[in-house]
Order: sequence, then structure tokens, then C-alpha cells
Amino acid sequence: MRDLIDIWVGIQAWLFETLVSPVLFRFGLMEWFEPAFNAVEIFMLGIVQILVIALGMRFFEKRWPLEKTANDDLVAVDRVYTVLNKLGIVPLAVFMVSYPITNEIDYLVRSWGFAPPRLERLLPWLHDSALGSFLVYFALYDFAAYWLHRAQHKFAWWWALHSLHHSQRQVTVWSDDRNHIVDDLLITLALVVFAQFVGVQPDDYILILMIGRLIESWSHANVDMSFGRVGARLIVGPRFHRLHHALAGPDERHIQDHNFAPVFPIWDILFGTANYDGKRRPTGVDNPIMDADNGRGWVAQQVTVFGRFVRALTPRFIRASTQPGLRPPAE
Amino acid sequence: MNKLAIAATALALAAGGAARADSILVLNSEDASYSILSRSGRIELVRLPIGREPHHLIATPDGKDVLVGSTATNELLVLDAKTGEKRRVVRDIIDPYQLGFSADGKWFVTVAYRLDHVDIYHADGFKLAGRIFIDGLPSHMAFDTDSKTVFVTLQQTGRLVAFDLETQAIKWNVEIGKAPAGVLMLPDNKRLLVALTGEEGLVAVEPKDGTVTANLRTGKGAHNFWPKGDGRHWFLSNRVEGTVSLIDTQDLKVVATIKVPGGPDDMDITPDGKELWVTQRFLRRIAVVDLEQMRVVASVPVGKSPHGVMMLKSGTTGPGGGPVRAASTAGEQK
Repeated sequence: MRDLIDIWVGIQAWLFETLVSPVLFRFGLMEWFEPAFNAVEIFMLGIVQILVIALGMRFFEKRWPLEKTANDDLVAVDRVYTVLNKLGIVPLAVFMVSYPITNEIDYLVRSWGFAPPRLERLLPWLHDSALGSFLVYFALYDFAAYWLHRAQHKFAWWWALHSLHHSQRQVTVWSDDRNHIVDDLLITLALVVFAQFVGVQPDDYILILMIGRLIESWSHANVDMSFGRVGARLIVGPRFHRLHHALAGPDERHIQDHNFAPVFPIWDILFGTANYDGKRRPTGVDNPIMDADNGRGWVAQQVTVFGRFVRALTPRFIRASTQPGLRPPAE
Repeated sequence: MNKLAIAATALALAAGGAARADSILVLNSEDASYSILSRSGRIELVRLPIGREPHHLIATPDGKDVLVGSTATNELLVLDAKTGEKRRVVRDIIDPYQLGFSADGKWFVTVAYRLDHVDIYHADGFKLAGRIFIDGLPSHMAFDTDSKTVFVTLQQTGRLVAFDLETQAIKWNVEIGKAPAGVLMLPDNKRLLVALTGEEGLVAVEPKDGTVTANLRTGKGAHNFWPKGDGRHWFLSNRVEGTVSLIDTQDLKVVATIKVPGGPDDMDITPDGKELWVTQRFLRRIAVVDLEQMRVVASVPVGKSPHGVMMLKSGTTGPGGGPVRAASTAGEQK
């Protein structure tokens, strides 16, 4: 195990000292020395994730596809999202915006004397179990993500952003990262603040993200698989999550209001949103404006969805007065 | 390291506290843990959980305890200076990044790197005397020998600030160079040395008004000092360059340069003065420098981002016969 760690940190240190550290030194950014070193690790983990998806998960999709992918162009844009996210490009942009905000919150709260309580104070046995501690923090983090996901569907302005994720008609292992950058920003802000309050360790936080996002990539796979009768109630798999992406039909207007959990289905089971009927359904959204995301590239999707978001935020009476056909009848 | 040696070390440990006489304590800042290492065995004996984001540590003036700053939980964790065992927790010490005692042991100072303030406490009972908010990432500190002033570097704004301990007022605040970090008051109380992490060496500074009087090239990313123990020579880690410089502070010159890869940071010297142990932040290791050969002879695996390091107390005297860290008179806080 130590040999693997040495190889890993050896590569990380080499990349950092060769490519990053000289830039920081040259431009007087040495206060970012340690965070930048950690960012290199996130980049490396991103490459590992892409390899796992491309070589591992794709094998199952190719061997046992649920839907024949007729139009690969629809999937291609999701690959762009995955690469931009996993290699840290989108997260870096999100970080640059969210850092001053989360830092200010941290600053304010801690200057009041409040420190995140460690779970270990309540559950001392966690001190002696790194795995137990990690799993408890993972479950808490997933619990927060479950409720945030419900909020993404609940509020019209947030759905305007999140609908980009759902508009994909051909959901595959590449679809998990297909999100609007503002949506990513909001989720990141909420989860970082939650993590600060709950007290997730920075190292655990990275591991939670890494494992969590891999499970989420797999849960989008174009396969009809689950972890078995018991396992499907412990970990989210493709069959469970695909139902959440199901295209709403006349008899199932609210089919997407099920199976919200990112990793642990227990939250859906506890809060009455689990659906294990196992039926095969097409995926996508039944709204032609949102469905039009299909066929657009990354930039066009970001621009049009942002417009959708702004319109959703605009008060109704302003929208009505500026959109022909929605104006009140003239007197 | 062979299994026999590990077993022997474990048996020695089991024999009691005295067996830890050659033990070394390392804070794994991103693992929320600390490691106890065997100096002779050059192995990690045990890794124990501690606080969250523990970066630095310092011995109490009486030498009985070690204080560890748990920055993200606003606590000081008190360890036994002989065994490294946890004794108690001092709560409500906000963001205790760097820790230091004045030479007379009367004042205890913490700098809050993330929260931008300097806290001055009455060391007896850790009662807060004053909190001074100051922008710019306060990072390291040093005291004058008469315990009247504490000097704090501001890494982001490139400044050095002098605070009056009694009144907690700012005496002066001057710009001295890019990303100043480690600061050291020389024993004559007449010169400060400040390592510039954003540059390639250190500057000498006048304690009375902050005037820069000299500079010395040591290596890129000059960061932190540690005394050799003879009152004249100090080690200085150069984080970007990956070296440790040995500096003659009297003549202000580099007398040796030791290659230590992996972002070398904090240091401590063995009581016999033969080895310098240096945390290699990036490699999750701690380097052992043989001071006769002036080279790394071993590198011991520890946890993630090892930062503070300290020889557990085997006696109260350092290599020069004087106190190792009875009070921080010379930038000895890590």
C-alpha cells in the first residue's frame, strides 16, 4: 500500500514542482502553494475517474446496452462535460467564485467562536474506526445532497438549470456531469457550507467526492442493472436512477419525483420517494423548449439554459408584459 | 526496516515511557492525526487521531506538555511531552495556526492564518488579553528576548508587524518582501531574520522600526527557521527549491545547503545534535538529515501533509546545553 502511495505522491509532487509551483512563484501567488498542491491531486483523481468510466463502465454499456444509441452526437456533449469537470476546469471556475463566499461564511462563523462539531465527540468509537468515520460522514453528505436534489426539482428557477441534466434523451455513464455551471456553483456552495458545519475532513471530503461521483456516473449507465434485491436498497445503481430520468407520460406526470438519492437509496426509502418498479422507460423531458438542449454543444447549452434560468427568476408580470402572446388583452 | 527491528521497537515501547526517549512527534495536518516515530528505528510506531487540521505545536515553558493547535476546531490539544499521550483540551482558542510563548513565559500568542487575527493571551490559564484583526494571512511569529514585543509576518501582504504584548497595540507595520513566513529574533535581540517564501532568501530587519538592513540568498521559497543549538547557526527550509540551508547568522552567510525534496517545511534537531528531521509536506514523509554528512540518510513514511515536528522530551537540554524550547526566544515555534 505504501508503495502505491509513494508512486501517487511522487507523480503529484513532480507535476506540482515542474508545472505549478514555478508559476505560483513567478506570479507571487505563494499563499496558494498548499491548495494548488491539493488541486493537482484532484486533477490526477479526475484522470483516474475518466479512465474508470471509459475503460470499465463503458465495457458494460457496450456489452449489455439497454438502449441502442442511435445518435452519438447527443452523447458527445456529455463527454465534454465529463472531461471539463473531472479534470477540474469547471470546479476551478466554481471554486474561484465560491471560495470568497464560503470563506467569508467560515470567517464569520468561526470568529463568533463556533467550530464545526466533530461527530467523534458524540460517537467516541468513531475515533478508532477510520472506515466507520468515513461512512458516517459520507452518509451525512449524501443526505444533504438528497435534499438539494429535491430542491432542484421543486423550485422553478432551479429546475430551469437542472433540466439541462434531465434533457438528455440518451443517458449514459457520461451524463452525470452534464450540469449548468451555475447549478454546479449552487450545489458546491451548499455542500461546502454543509461540510464545514458538519465537519467533514478535507481528505475525507475529496474521497467522498471521488467515490460518490463514480457511483453517480455508474448510476447513469445505459444498462439495465442493479446491485440485487438487497444491494439496490444500499447503493444506487443504474436501474434505480434511470427511473428518475424517465420521460414523463400522461399516466406518470411526476415519475421524475422519485429516486433522488445520489448514492444511498435509504433517503428515498425513508422519505417516501423510492420506486423500485423496474419498468423500462425512455428518458428525457416532456417539454419541447428543454428537449431542444439535445443537439446543442456545450457553449450553446450553457447560454440557452442560463437564459431559461434568468426568465424563471424574472417576476411573472414582467415576463407577461415582454413576451408577445402572454400580454394581457388590450382594453 | 526489518520485522525484527520493528518488534524490538514495539517491545521497547511496551516497556514504558522511558522507551519513548528517542521518539518524535509529527502532525499530519491533512489526516487529522499525529504520528509517533522511533528515531533509532526510523519507523512510524503509531498514528493517532487528533483534532482537525493540526499544523503546529510547541512545548509549554515548563517542558511538561506539548500544545497542538487544532485550527478547524478552535482548540489546543495538550499532549504529554514525554510520551505524546493526550492529556486534555483547551477550547475556544480561535484558529490556532502558529503558537508561541514569550521568553518569560508570561504571554502566549496565536496567529489565525485563515481568520486574519493575532491573539495575545496571558499564558497562565490562556486568558485572552487582546485580539488584533489584521488582513494578510498572519503566519509566523517571533518574540524579543525581553518579552515586550511579538513580531508577526503577513504572508499575503508581504509585511512584518510588531505588536506590544502589554498593550496589544501595533508598534509598526512595514512591507519587507514577497510572502514573508518564518521570523527569527537573534539572541542579541538586535536583528530579526525573515524568510521570504515568495523570493529566494531572507532579509535582516531592524527590530525597532522594521527597516530592512540586509538580505541573503538561500533558495526559492525560503520558509522556516530552526536553531542548530550553538546560538549562531540556524537551519532554513526552502520549500520551492527543495533544500535546507545552514546559515551563519553572525556573518549572514550560507555555510551549507542540503537537498531535501518534497517541499521541506518544519524541522527539529535530535538532542545529540547529530540529526535534523524535516517534514516533507508533499511526500507524506519526514526526512532524516545526517548533520555530519549533510545529506538525507532516510525518509520515514507518515500521514498526509506532515507539518509540525518535535522530538519528544528526553531531557531538558538541547545540543548546546541550553533549553531546547523552554521559551520561544528565537523563532522556535514551528
